[in-house]
Amino acid sequence: MIAILVVLVVLALFGAPLYAIIASCALLGFWSAGVDLSVVPIEVYRLADNPVLVAIPLFTFAGYLLGESGAPKRLVRLAQALLGWLRGGIALVGLASSALFTAFTGASGVTIVALGPLLYTALREARYSEKFTLGLVTTSGCLGLLFAPALPLILYAVVAQQLGLDEPVRVQDLFLAGALPGLLMLVLLGAYSIWQDRAHGSASVPFSWSEVRDAVRDASWELPLPFVVLGGIYSGYFAASEAAAATALYVLVVLVGIRREIPLQRLPAVMRESMVMVGTILIILGVALSSTNYMVDAGVPYQLFEAIRRWIDGPLTFLVVLNLFLLALGMVLDIFSAIVLVVPIIVPVAISYGIHPVHLGIVFLANMQIGYIMPPMGMDLCIASRRFQRPVLELARATLPFIALLLVSVLIITYWPDLSLVLLKRSGA
Amino acid sequence: MLLALVLGVMIALAAGQILLRNAFDIGWLWSAPLLRVLVLWVGMLGALAATRKDEHIAIDALSRLLPRAGRCVVHAFTRVFAAGVSLLIAYHAARLVLEERAGGSIAFSSVPTWLCESILPFAFGLIGVRYLLTAARSLHDLVAAEPAERA
Repeated sequence: MIAILVVLVVLALFGAPLYAIIASCALLGFWSAGVDLSVVPIEVYRLADNPVLVAIPLFTFAGYLLGESGAPKRLVRLAQALLGWLRGGIALVGLASSALFTAFTGASGVTIVALGPLLYTALREARYSEKFTLGLVTTSGCLGLLFAPALPLILYAVVAQQLGLDEPVRVQDLFLAGALPGLLMLVLLGAYSIWQDRAHGSASVPFSWSEVRDAVRDASWELPLPFVVLGGIYSGYFAASEAAAATALYVLVVLVGIRREIPLQRLPAVMRESMVMVGTILIILGVALSSTNYMVDAGVPYQLFEAIRRWIDGPLTFLVVLNLFLLALGMVLDIFSAIVLVVPIIVPVAISYGIHPVHLGIVFLANMQIGYIMPPMGMDLCIASRRFQRPVLELARATLPFIALLLVSVLIITYWPDLSLVLLKRSGA
Repeated sequence: MLLALVLGVMIALAAGQILLRNAFDIGWLWSAPLLRVLVLWVGMLGALAATRKDEHIAIDALSRLLPRAGRCVVHAFTRVFAAGVSLLIAYHAARLVLEERAGGSIAFSSVPTWLCESILPFAFGLIGVRYLLTAARSLHDLVAAEPAERA
């Protein structure tokens, strides 16, 4: 068994598709346990069981449409009109608009492609150094993952729900729990940007009501979207899947029907591209449902807990080890695969150490978020390198201060559970 | 095209559901389960489309260190592996669909379960076949490139 696992790991490192690796684990496990292998497709079919999953294709599609449209430009303009007069304002514009855009498009690569060039120009014009600009733009791709309605939050809830925990993990809980930790990251990076600004004296634009008015009018069609979606979700009026449906339809009508920024002939291609992305995530989730089922049946989480209990005696030590493990994981695995693969194993272990599953989710995602920009193979580094024609190494060096600050916030998030849980408790959940 | 169509139906259904619930306080009993089945369908069709462009999520940390010929061999080998796994799942999924059909269970309204499941053998089967073709192309590239390199 060990030999086969080693072979599978080697195959994965040589680029075999991850879903095939996970599926073969499930097939082998059930086969050795003497279970009929049609259990694997039965588990994949459970993709059709979960109403929350409807949100994934719909939000992804809306995100792809927004990314192709003029919405990023309007968003940056509006943020510039509102924040641009502050000291370090342009950098704050970058942070705020990327966070909002990433939250709504979920898969973070889209943010760099759609917003990156705009922010790059704006920051350079405001006389920020090349290094700081590249660092901020690369980092911008991973900000906002902790804000509703980002897909990783939804996916974590979906996977945790499969485990049949005593304490239910609802999508709304994660949406609430992510808000303050996400803000913490923004505040830290914002403070750093303002501090960076001291050297060259800010080249901020003077505040002008007429520009605010024009920018608001310019973005009037997109402006209601965050309010309706976030308001709907947080007030409990919309379920996540309904919010996704409303977003997809609204974005479709506005961008294709009213603004006509995306020609009708282009629409099938955008639909297809977004669904290819969804397919690569869902097939992994599908086969992971079966491998998880096998591992839980075989008592893997329990054995793991028993094994590590000898070395790790308390929740604090566990969290330290967990942070190190997740950072390393984030360097080799994308966030979606990591969620479906690792969450089913570590959630039961973490609960045994008395850690709240919702807090664990935020810790998990915050760590994985840094993985996006960690050298040598962070996804955002690769995307930014392609988009800006810079070597990955140069971008990696430019993002170092940002990584350091995000690490600080991850530590705070990890060891201060109430930061994640206080809104949850106040909402009476 | 099929992908766009399924997605279009999903958006219409999901939005229609909200509208009906709020405006008329009624709902279609079949729309929620149909929507959930469509998630499976759009996911499997998307995965199938991803196979054509070889865009499945993979780690691939080591093969870039290999020389070109080695890369081709490794690429072909990992694709044959993925094809084998996919075809095995497709086989068992097909068995499942046939059994379900004989059993005659209903998923929702009058739609039989086997019909909803039928995407599984279909998609996994085609993914397997497509990966075999990718592997063959990779090996073909290797053989075709070799004389040129020797010359």
